[in-house]
Amino acid sequence: MKKSLIISVWLLIIGKAYSLDLEPTILVLNQFDRQVPKVDSTLISNFSKSFFEFESTLNQLFGELDQVDNPAAWRMGLVKELGIKHNVNFILFNRIKHEEKRFFMEGQLYNTRSGGLIHHRKIDLANYVGGQINELNLWVGDAFDHKNREWNDNRESILFQNPEEIEHEKTPMGAAMRSLIVPGWGQAYSDKKTSAKIWAGTESSLSLAILISFLNYDKATTGYLKNLENYNNTDNEKEVAEYKAQAESDWDDHVKFNNLMIAFAGATGTGWIANSIHAWIVGPKPLKNIYQKWDPPSSAESG
Amino acid sequence: MKHHCKKIFFVYFVLCGLFAQVKLTVNTIPKRAEILLDGKSIGKTPIHKAMITTGEHKFEINKSGFAPLIYDLIVNPSEAVHLDFFLNPIYKVKFKTDEKGLIFELNGEHRWDDDLIRLKLEAGDHMLRVFKLGNIIDEQTILVDEPKTFRYFLKKPISEE
Repeated sequence: MKKSLIISVWLLIIGKAYSLDLEPTILVLNQFDRQVPKVDSTLISNFSKSFFEFESTLNQLFGELDQVDNPAAWRMGLVKELGIKHNVNFILFNRIKHEEKRFFMEGQLYNTRSGGLIHHRKIDLANYVGGQINELNLWVGDAFDHKNREWNDNRESILFQNPEEIEHEKTPMGAAMRSLIVPGWGQAYSDKKTSAKIWAGTESSLSLAILISFLNYDKATTGYLKNLENYNNTDNEKEVAEYKAQAESDWDDHVKFNNLMIAFAGATGTGWIANSIHAWIVGPKPLKNIYQKWDPPSSAESG
Repeated sequence: MKHHCKKIFFVYFVLCGLFAQVKLTVNTIPKRAEILLDGKSIGKTPIHKAMITTGEHKFEINKSGFAPLIYDLIVNPSEAVHLDFFLNPIYKVKFKTDEKGLIFELNGEHRWDDDLIRLKLEAGDHMLRVFKLGNIIDEQTILVDEPKTFRYFLKKPISEE
């Protein structure tokens, strides 16, 4: 009993080692509901270490695995027979069915020495450019341990992006930051040309008003100090009255322009922040306009 | 004694057959999705070297920000089962219109008559129907492929044709 167990284990190890050394020779049976161009040449070029033989008449012999009780051994006799007839190690059965925008692919890989099913793959995917060939490559690559990153990348091209990874070229925050630097820039960046001009014009006018107020304030202050000095330095009654009146007028102007400067500065600052917030609100966000179809099919049918 | 041993071996092999364990690998795109096997969590993807018994099983795949998946599988006696799942993201979508008196219906399930609503929609195609005074006036498929705002207009301006 123990002796036979040891022999079995050794046979298994030797068998495994022997099978690994073999370059796979594969009989490919394809059952496609639509023509998939260049399947044969693609498999041959991508798996150059394997030998492929293509047979188009036998594909009906392999069918729905889910409907049989023992899928692993259901075609043992046939598989062994085909293995001897075509002198191959494996039989690869591929089926592709298309359904609207999706395709369903099933792959079955049989070992002709044992006659058993050794790999089975079913996949249901949204159709993508070259998807059928790419999925065949992935399936054969998986079965014979030959992987290519490009095939996985191709498949992932059909996937919708993770919401957290979506990066837009233009963002509302980008617009807000721009408008914080130069009023109207964020709106212009968001293609809101009119509001960009309004904001830029408003802020420029307010800034100009501050500047004018400051210049007048400065002039009034200088004038007041000068008149005050002249007033202190003269004893002439007429001049005293004149300098006093001018100094009082300059004082009033200085107060007036100071208040105006504060008001314009407040308005400019508030406007500047408001312009940045506005840029954020009207900032570039993904938008899709949907228009009513001219001839809705349902109304045409009911009419 | 010999007869007793045979009986034990027979029971052992029957039990082995009944509770045969199959290696389980589960991958998802994106990774780090939680996998529930028959209602019990078996961890987050990628899952390697897990074991599963033969027979019927139910997989539930959950990840925040993605549509949950439920997948029923009959595991046949085999060496390994390898499962790959693509998860479909859910996008936040706004739906706006300035038109009056319209009722919108999405996928035959959700109805609204608001000027602005926020929806969480699975990425992909969705069927939009528009009703006015109880009559269907439009029907079309909209593609949700990123978080965005949809604006509905009754007629397409000639300049945009």
